[in-house]
Amino acid sequence: MTALLGRLDALRPTVLPPVVGVAMMAMIVGALVAAPREIIEGEVQRLMYVHVPMAIATYLSFGVTFVASILLLWKRDMKWDALARGSAVIGVMLCGLVLVTGAIWGKPIWGVYWTWDARLTSTLVLFLIYTAYLLARSIAGPLDEMAARYAAIFAIIGIADIPIVQMSVRWWRTLHPEPIIFQPNPALPGEMLAVLAVGFVAVFALAAWLIGMQTDVERASQRIHRLRAEVDQRESA
Amino acid sequence: MTHAIRTVIEKDLRLAWRNKSGWLSAASFATLAVLTYSFAFDLATGDIRPLLPGVLWTTFLFAGIFAAGQSFQQEHEDGTFDVMLVAPVPVTAIFLGKFTSNLIALLVIEFAQLLLASILFDVGLLTLELLGIVVLGTVGYVSLTTLLSTMGGQVRGRSVLLPVLALPLLVPLLIGAVRATGASLGLEAGSGPWILLLAVFAMWSTLAAVLMFPLAAER
Repeated sequence: MTALLGRLDALRPTVLPPVVGVAMMAMIVGALVAAPREIIEGEVQRLMYVHVPMAIATYLSFGVTFVASILLLWKRDMKWDALARGSAVIGVMLCGLVLVTGAIWGKPIWGVYWTWDARLTSTLVLFLIYTAYLLARSIAGPLDEMAARYAAIFAIIGIADIPIVQMSVRWWRTLHPEPIIFQPNPALPGEMLAVLAVGFVAVFALAAWLIGMQTDVERASQRIHRLRAEVDQRESA
Repeated sequence: MTHAIRTVIEKDLRLAWRNKSGWLSAASFATLAVLTYSFAFDLATGDIRPLLPGVLWTTFLFAGIFAAGQSFQQEHEDGTFDVMLVAPVPVTAIFLGKFTSNLIALLVIEFAQLLLASILFDVGLLTLELLGIVVLGTVGYVSLTTLLSTMGGQVRGRSVLLPVLALPLLVPLLIGAVRATGASLGLEAGSGPWILLLAVFAMWSTLAAVLMFPLAAER
C-alpha cells in the first residue's frame, strides 16, 4: 500500500501538469464554445462548468484535511500535518472561488449577489471554519507539534460540525436550485453533461496538483526549520 | 472520578470567589453589551421583542468566550494547569470539572443579565421555558469554549484566536438559541424544533469536547 502510494507520488510532477493543461483547455473550449446556450439563464449558466466541480473539489480537499488530521493524532508524524495544512489551503481557495462564482451567477439569476439561503450560508460557514483552522495552525511554527495537534482537533470538530450547520441553516431558510446532476436520470442534456465531466477532470486534477505542491512547500518549510534549529544548536555548543 | 471533578469545581469556584476581577469583568462586559445594544438599536422605544433574542444570545456568547479564555489565562500564568495534569486522576475528570465550573459561573452571569433585561425592557424573561433554553444553550457552547481555550492557552494572540475559532462552530447553536428564545417570547409558533436543535448541539459538543480534551491537554 505504502509502496503503491509512493510510486503514485513519484508520478505526480510528470503526469498531473499535462493532464491539467489539456483538461483545462478542453473545459474552457467546451464551456464557452461547445456547450449549448442555456435558454432561460443565458450565457452566465456556463459558470456551472467550473462552479460545480470546484464545490465538489472543496469537499474532497477538506476531506483530505480531515483524514490527515486523524492520521496526525494517531501516528504523530508531522508529514500528516503538512498534508492537512496543504489541502486546507487549497480547499479554502476553492471554497472562496465557489462563493465568488456563485455570487456572479446569482446577480443576474436571483437579482442579488448574496442571499441567506441554506446552502450558501453553510458554504460560508465551511469557509470560515477552515480559515480559522489555517489561522490556528499558523500561530506557531511548522515544527510545533502542540499547535499541529491543536489545529488537527479543530479540523476534526469542524468537519463534525458541518452536518449540524447544514441541518440548522436548512431549518433557518432555503432557496438554492435543487441538485439535478447526481440523479439516476440527470436532467442535463448530453453535451452539457459531457462538458461538465471534462470540468470535473480538469478541476480535480488541478486541485490534486496544487495540494501536492502546497504539501511539498509545507514539508520543505518543516525541513528548513529543523535545519535551522540544528545550526543554532551547533553554534551555541 | 467524581471526587476529582468536585475538587476541580471547588478550586475554580473558590478562585473565582477570591479573585473577583475575572468574573466581574465578564459580567460587566455582558452588562455593557446589553446597554450598548440598547443605545445602538434604540431599544427604549417600540416593540423590542424581535431584537431581544439576538441581543441576549450574542451577549451570552461573547461573554462566554471571554470568560473561558480568562479562566485558562490564569491557569497558564500560574502554571497550575500543568500541575493538574500530572495529578493521578483521569484527564476527563479535569475537563468535566473545568466545564462545570465555567458553566456555573456563566449561568450566574446570564441569570443576572436576564434579570437586568427584564427590568430594563419590561419583558418577562424569567420563565421556566426560557431558563431551560438558556441552560441548554450554555451547555452547548461552554463545552466547546472550554476545549478551545485549553488549546488556546498555549499560543500567543489567544484572545483574538478564541472567538475566531469558536464562533463559526457555534452557528447552529446561535440559530437554535435565538429562534427558541423568540418562540418562547411569542414571536413565532413552537419552540420545539429549536429546543431539539439545541439539545442535539449540546450533546454533540459535550461528547466531542470530552473525547478530544485528552489529546488537547497532552504535553
